[in-house]
Amino acid sequence: MAEKILEIKDLCVEFNTDRGVIRAVNGVNLEVYKGKTLGVVGESGSGKSVTALSIMRLIPSPPGKIARGTIDYRGENLLEIPFDEMRRIRGNKIAMIFQEPMTSLNPVFTVGNQIEEVLELHQKELSKEQRRDKAIEMLHLVGIPSPEKRVTEYPHQLSGGMRQRVMIAMSLACEPDILIADEPTTALDVTIQAQILELMNKLQKELGMGIIMITHDLGVVAETCDDVAVMYCGQIVERAEVKELFNHPQHPYTKGLIESIPSFDSTTGERKDRLPTIEGMVPSLFDLPDGCNFQDRCNFATDKCRGSEGEPVLKSIGTHHDAACFHPLS
Amino acid sequence: MNIWAYIIRRLLYVIPVLLGVCLIIFVLFNMVSPDPTLIMLGKHASLSQMEDLRRELGLDRSWFLQYLDVVKSAFTFEFGRSWSTKQEIIEMIKAGAIPSLTLSVPAFVLSTVISIAISLFVAFFRGTFIDKSVVFLCVTMMSISSLAYILFGQWFFAFKLGWFEISGYEFGFPDFVPYVILPVIIWVMLGLGPDVRFYRTIILDEIYQDYVRTARAKGLGEKVIMFKHVLKNAMIPIITYVIIQIPFLILGALLLESFFSIPGLGGITLNAINSSDFPVVKAMTILISVAYILFSVLTDVLYTLVDPRVRLK
Repeated sequence: MAEKILEIKDLCVEFNTDRGVIRAVNGVNLEVYKGKTLGVVGESGSGKSVTALSIMRLIPSPPGKIARGTIDYRGENLLEIPFDEMRRIRGNKIAMIFQEPMTSLNPVFTVGNQIEEVLELHQKELSKEQRRDKAIEMLHLVGIPSPEKRVTEYPHQLSGGMRQRVMIAMSLACEPDILIADEPTTALDVTIQAQILELMNKLQKELGMGIIMITHDLGVVAETCDDVAVMYCGQIVERAEVKELFNHPQHPYTKGLIESIPSFDSTTGERKDRLPTIEGMVPSLFDLPDGCNFQDRCNFATDKCRGSEGEPVLKSIGTHHDAACFHPLS
Repeated sequence: MNIWAYIIRRLLYVIPVLLGVCLIIFVLFNMVSPDPTLIMLGKHASLSQMEDLRRELGLDRSWFLQYLDVVKSAFTFEFGRSWSTKQEIIEMIKAGAIPSLTLSVPAFVLSTVISIAISLFVAFFRGTFIDKSVVFLCVTMMSISSLAYILFGQWFFAFKLGWFEISGYEFGFPDFVPYVILPVIIWVMLGLGPDVRFYRTIILDEIYQDYVRTARAKGLGEKVIMFKHVLKNAMIPIITYVIIQIPFLILGALLLESFFSIPGLGGITLNAINSSDFPVVKAMTILISVAYILFSVLTDVLYTLVDPRVRLK
């Protein structure tokens, strides 16, 4: 078993809105292991990005607030350490890349400058020249051609894929323990997506960091992750090792997600006539039903799911396989 | 492309713009405005007197030649003589520029620096009570008439407390200082409301950008993020707003100068308008236009220094 480097316990994040307080993340438990990739999957608004931002303590506050829970990183609760200490961890031990490569870099500084800034902050022993060399080395590492030239260029001179590579170079400059990737390929076209994912897999093998891969794309999960957590309405509904999850989904929601991946029929090679979808809509966080949050969209819902026995909790239903469902599928 | 080539090209563009501006000024002053001989000689002048004066002023020549005079004055700054004081206008401008600039430059610099500093401070505390009260204060200050500031300042600080001179001016440093302190303070107070609101909006626009979140994720402190990342991006709209005000500084402040009896260009212009002294008004119009055009070129040049995305095309 790999070393556990991050453990999130019972995380609750609330947002104050004009219509009242909503709980965007509700009792999430996650573990990240060295050299492994944890996938966090879910629809928009399921709380996956908020979970990621909480680890970095980047929840905009106000209106956001971490109401409960602990995030243990190597024996320290990140939610309780002083802010200055958190700043020493950000970008250094835990780094993050974002969904929007086009806007995540500062337009008025060169990419070299922005990579060097992280080094200047966390590796004070490096001289100016060493920082420049390291920036070029990082750009080379993420597969940017002629890095000596690119290092003096501005973000607008690079394509979206190149910018995301720069973001990766920047986040890995201090060789972090954990890389949080918040939908890193969503804004990129498919061929570039594959390149970026491959690059992240390769760098993970070289540097041995743990990755939290946040995505709504199960294809990305299949390609990159070791473990997967499926989120719905701010809660984890299913958690398993990746193959197990794809082969034996236990929660009807997970099954629905997997079935709605476009594919060709495995026996005839024909395109399926109709792509199965999950009927209905995600309930509003302002007014969640009693019992299971998925009840209205579930074909197997019973009175038990509608609140007669409270909310389903995440419980083990196999080796390293948990689901929050009263009627798991197998 | 070379920055110097860019500057020279932008300056060449100034020529057609200036010719157009001269045409407008010519139409306004030489064609639309009333016959100057009537103003200068009064109602009871004889026809021959008027003829002589028209010849003397060169008004009997063709419109094209008169237009060329306007163009010539825009390039040489030779504006002729004032009708009422018979002084060389350029000498009047030189004399008036000093009191105006001793008032407007410190006031402008102070109000810009103070407003940006307050906006950064307020933007840092965005959404909190501090932010809301400052915005409320700004709107309140904007809602009070500028006359109220001037009259209250003169009555309370200058008359009651005797801290400053009530009005007047003396040439030479440091003699002018006691005369300009109060108008400078009032100028800054008047600008604070609109400026803080404007800069705050610009800075808040930047604070919610994705690159700020990236900067935080890197582990940078809020101060570095504000002063390095946010301010450099906010500089682009700020430069436009600030530089385009500079040409008007030579005018001083019409109202402040007249209330504080400062013999600046604002006062000169006001007197010229009151006495229908058209050559002076025309000279001031040309001067401001030329300055405005040149400073807009400067704005474009500064953009290229602040924002790498601006191409020198």
